[in-house]
Amino acid sequence: MSASLAPECNEVKEPEYLRGNGNTDDNECATMFKDYQKCLQVALQERKIDKLLNEAREDSKEHDSTHLKRK
Amino acid sequence: MKVFSNSVTYNYSWEEVSIANWQKYGPWNDKSAHVIAVDTLNRTVDPETGILRTERLITCQQSAPKWLANLLGSTDTSQVFETSYVNPAEKTVTMVSHNLTMNHLINVQETVVYKPINGKQTQFTQDARITALCGGWQRIKNNIEDALVTRFRENAVKGKEGFECVLAMSRRAFAEEREREQSGQLMMA
Repeated sequence: MSASLAPECNEVKEPEYLRGNGNTDDNECATMFKDYQKCLQVALQERKIDKLLNEAREDSKEHDSTHLKRK
Repeated sequence: MKVFSNSVTYNYSWEEVSIANWQKYGPWNDKSAHVIAVDTLNRTVDPETGILRTERLITCQQSAPKWLANLLGSTDTSQVFETSYVNPAEKTVTMVSHNLTMNHLINVQETVVYKPINGKQTQFTQDARITALCGGWQRIKNNIEDALVTRFRENAVKGKEGFECVLAMSRRAFAEEREREQSGQLMMA
């Protein structure tokens, strides 16, 4: 597992489901991912990366239309 | 604009490569130390196509040549935004990334594709387009672009070596897991 750019998010980034202990039938994984995303959101704002990310996301929309290929 | 293209054949199935790809910058890879963090920002599966779409933020730490650092006032830490698409029907992994850091001065757009060659081999292709945006002499822009192409070439060699280790470790880990499952079943019988 790779590290997070925010050390404070590393603990929530270490999800059990990646170790094969999770149960895909319940929401455990989704909850863990949400906790990690919440932690990350704060870290990205603090580092002022959130704005850059939003711009990058706008730019990458064209890739979605190429690679998601909805019929 | 300069283009860096590279292609590698891995002697592993597409299924193995596409799974190990998520561990590429984990502890099994000691060759890509310049990637210091990987954060998954979003991840969804398209219910219609089964395509897994993932957004990641890749944080790198690599010192730039001194003249380049002086010119661009760069810090050693840079960030890349990556969007990837795993298409299980077509058996492709496509990863598109571009630089977040210094994006007013340079534009780096990279596309990586993993495709099966046959049941046992996978083709990796990498294509990076590097454009210096800063004003000034063309010669300086050329130098900046060349420096980045050199960096891509160096990292590509390390990237291949590192990923080979990850693929070997991943194959071993899956084999051990299967063995454990089988011995578990024998105990039950």
